[in-house]
Amino acid sequence: MYSSPEPATTTGPRTGDRRWPPHTVVALLLGVVLVGAILFRIVQHDSVGAAATQREAGAVAAPKAAAPSEAAVKTDLPGIVAPTGEPTLGTLADTHPAPGRVAHARGPFDDRFTLSRLSLDRRHVGGVLTITSDVSDLLELQVLAGFYDRHGRLLGTGRFVHHATGHAHAHVGTPSLKEPFTVPVPERLRGEVHAAAVGVPVLVNE
Amino acid sequence: MSISHRGAATALFAIAGLTGSAVAYGATAEASQDPTTSSVTARGDIKNVIYLLGDGMGRTHVTAARQRYYGASGRLVMETLPALGQVSTYSVERRSGQPGASDFVPNLVTDSASAATAWASGVKTYNAALGVDAKGNVKPTLMELAKQKGYRTGNVSTAEITDATPAGQMSHVLARGCQGPAYSEASCQDTEVTGSPLPTSDLRVTPVADQIARNGTADVILGGGLARFDRADQRALRDQGYQVLGSPATQTVATESDLDAASRRKVFGLFNKGNLTIEKYKRENPDSAQAEEPALEEMTAKAIELLSRKRKGNGFYLQVEGALIDKRSHANDAAQTLEETKAFDDAVKVALDFAKQDGHTLVIVTADHECAGFNIIEKGTFTNAEAAAPPLNADSGNPANSSTPSRVGGNVKDPARSSGTINGAGASDPKNFAPATFRTPDDPAAVQDGTPEASLWLSYLSGNHTGADVPVFAYGPQSGRVDRSIDNTDLFDIMGHALRVTQ
Repeated sequence: MYSSPEPATTTGPRTGDRRWPPHTVVALLLGVVLVGAILFRIVQHDSVGAAATQREAGAVAAPKAAAPSEAAVKTDLPGIVAPTGEPTLGTLADTHPAPGRVAHARGPFDDRFTLSRLSLDRRHVGGVLTITSDVSDLLELQVLAGFYDRHGRLLGTGRFVHHATGHAHAHVGTPSLKEPFTVPVPERLRGEVHAAAVGVPVLVNE
Repeated sequence: MSISHRGAATALFAIAGLTGSAVAYGATAEASQDPTTSSVTARGDIKNVIYLLGDGMGRTHVTAARQRYYGASGRLVMETLPALGQVSTYSVERRSGQPGASDFVPNLVTDSASAATAWASGVKTYNAALGVDAKGNVKPTLMELAKQKGYRTGNVSTAEITDATPAGQMSHVLARGCQGPAYSEASCQDTEVTGSPLPTSDLRVTPVADQIARNGTADVILGGGLARFDRADQRALRDQGYQVLGSPATQTVATESDLDAASRRKVFGLFNKGNLTIEKYKRENPDSAQAEEPALEEMTAKAIELLSRKRKGNGFYLQVEGALIDKRSHANDAAQTLEETKAFDDAVKVALDFAKQDGHTLVIVTADHECAGFNIIEKGTFTNAEAAAPPLNADSGNPANSSTPSRVGGNVKDPARSSGTINGAGASDPKNFAPATFRTPDDPAAVQDGTPEASLWLSYLSGNHTGADVPVFAYGPQSGRVDRSIDNTDLFDIMGHALRVTQ
C-alpha cells in the first residue's frame, strides 16, 4: 500500500508516455521484493514436502504437535509364542557323555567363553566358565546342566544362575573374567547320575 | 526522478522479485552456514535428525583423543560443531517418581539402559530398564514415534544391537539383560518393580531380540549381536520386507561386502555374533575375519544412504552409537579407548558432511555417561593410586590450609605401586597403578607410546561409570537448543520437537 500527495490522475499507469513518481516506484518495488521473498519460501517448502508445507502454514499460528502416543508401541508381535519355562538346549538330548565325563552341550554363545575344571561327583557338577569376549559387565549367565545315566541317557537337568540385580550390581570392582559354577544333582536323581553335560543358554556380557 | 519506459519498469519489477528471493535465500543460507544462530529457524526446516553418541565418552575422552590424534591445538570433528553444551545423566531408583515428585529417588550414576530411556522416551528410570519408567510403565520411544509419523528410521551400533543403547529405541523391557534369544525369569522379570512376575506374554519380559525382529521400529538395523537372533527371527524380518544380510538362521555373520551391496528400504545386518571388533585389532590383523566387519563410519554412511533416498514427506531419524568407547574404558584400556573415540569421531564426520550438504539435518553428538573417570595428568606427575599413603579426603579443620599435611608421611609416590607406565615398562606388573602414556603429533618423532617422554599421560579412576556430566555438540537447525546445561531427558524434547513428534 502507498499514498500519494498528487492527484490520482497523475499516479496511475497511463498509456503512451507513462511516468510514475519516484515514491510510487519505490513502494511498488518494495512490494514486489516482499512478494518475491514469500514466493521463495513457498517454493522452498514445496521441496520439503506437503507435510512440511502444512507445518509452515501452521507457523503463523503455532502448530499443535502430536503428543507422544502409546499407540506407537507395537505390542502385537507376530509369531511370538510365550515361553512356558526356563530355556533349554536342544543339544542336551543329542549329547551322550561316557560315564564319568562332563561334556559341553553346544549353545548360542559358545564363542564367548571357555569351560575348565569340569568335574562331577555324586552331588554336583561344576567348573569354571571363563569369558573370552567383552567383560565390562557380566549381567546374566545361566549354565544348564544335563545329567545322564550309565548309558548316556538324559535323566534330568539343573541350573546355575548368575543375575546382576542392577542395584549395586555389576559395577562393583573390576569385571571378572572367571565365573565358577556348581549345579546340584537333583535329589531324585542321586545315585543314578554317571555323566553330565553343561551348556549356556543365557549369557549377557557387555 | 521518474521511470519513462514500460520495459524498464518491468525489468525493475523482475530485478526486485529476484532480489527478494535472493534476500530470502541468503537468510536461509546464512542460517545453514551458521547453525548456532539457527535455533530460531522454523522447525519445518528440519527434515532429518542424526543422533550420535559415544557410549561412556566423557569430556576427557574427547580431549584425550583430540590430543592423541590432532595435537594440543587440533580439534576432533565433533568439536567443530558450533553448538556446545553439557548433559546431566543421573538415573533414579526402582519405583521412583519423576523429578519433582514426592517419591523421586535419584541415583547419581546411570547405566546405559537408563540413559537410553531418558533420551529415547523422555523419562528417568532405574538402571537396567529400557523403554519403561521406574514404575514399569511402557513409554513410547522417539524412534517409534518417528516411525508412526512416517519418518524413515535407522539404528546403528558397534555393540550387540540388543544392547542397552540401541535397544532403548526399539524395545521395552524391565531388565536390559532380557536380550534373547531365550527368555529366562532371572534375566527378564523384575518383581521389585512389578510386585509379582509378569505373564511371559507381556511385552516387558519379551526378549529384546524378539521385539526388534518383529516390531519394525527401525528400517535400517546395523551392528552386532547375531547370536541373539534365530531362524524364527529371520523369518519374521523377511516377512516385513527386510533385506537380511548374513543369516540368523545359520548364524552367518554379514560382511562389509554384504553391506556395500545392500539396497532395499529395510535392511538388517549384524556383522558379529557379539559386539563388533575393536578397530585396533582390525588394524593390526587386516587378514582376520574380524577385519571384514565394517567400521562405524561405513555403517553410518550406508544407513544415511539408505534412509535419505526418500525424497518426499518426512525425512529420517538415525541413531548411531560408538559402543566400544565404554567397553574399553571399563577395561581401563586407554589405547583402545582412544582409538574407538577416533572411530566414533569418523562417523560424526560422515553425519556432519551429509548435514552440511543437505541443509535440513540436525546433528547431535553426545554420550550416555562418562566411564571410568578417565583423566589426563601432567607429564611426570602421579595419581593418588600411586601414592605411598592415601589422601585424607576429610576436612582437617585447618583454616589456613597450610599446616595439616594431606597425607601421613606426605604426598610421595610409592615405587611398589607405580613401577612404570602400564603400556610400557610397567606392563607386566599386575599391581602397577601408573598411567599409560601416548605420543601426540606435537611430540618429537622419536618419542614412543608407553615411555615417560610421551606427553599424553592418561589414568583411570575406576572400572565403572561415573556421574560426571557429558558434553553435547550440535549442528544444524535448532542446534542452539543444546547450547547450555541440559538433562538427558531434554534430548527427548529437543529431538522430538525437531521431528515434530512431541509437544
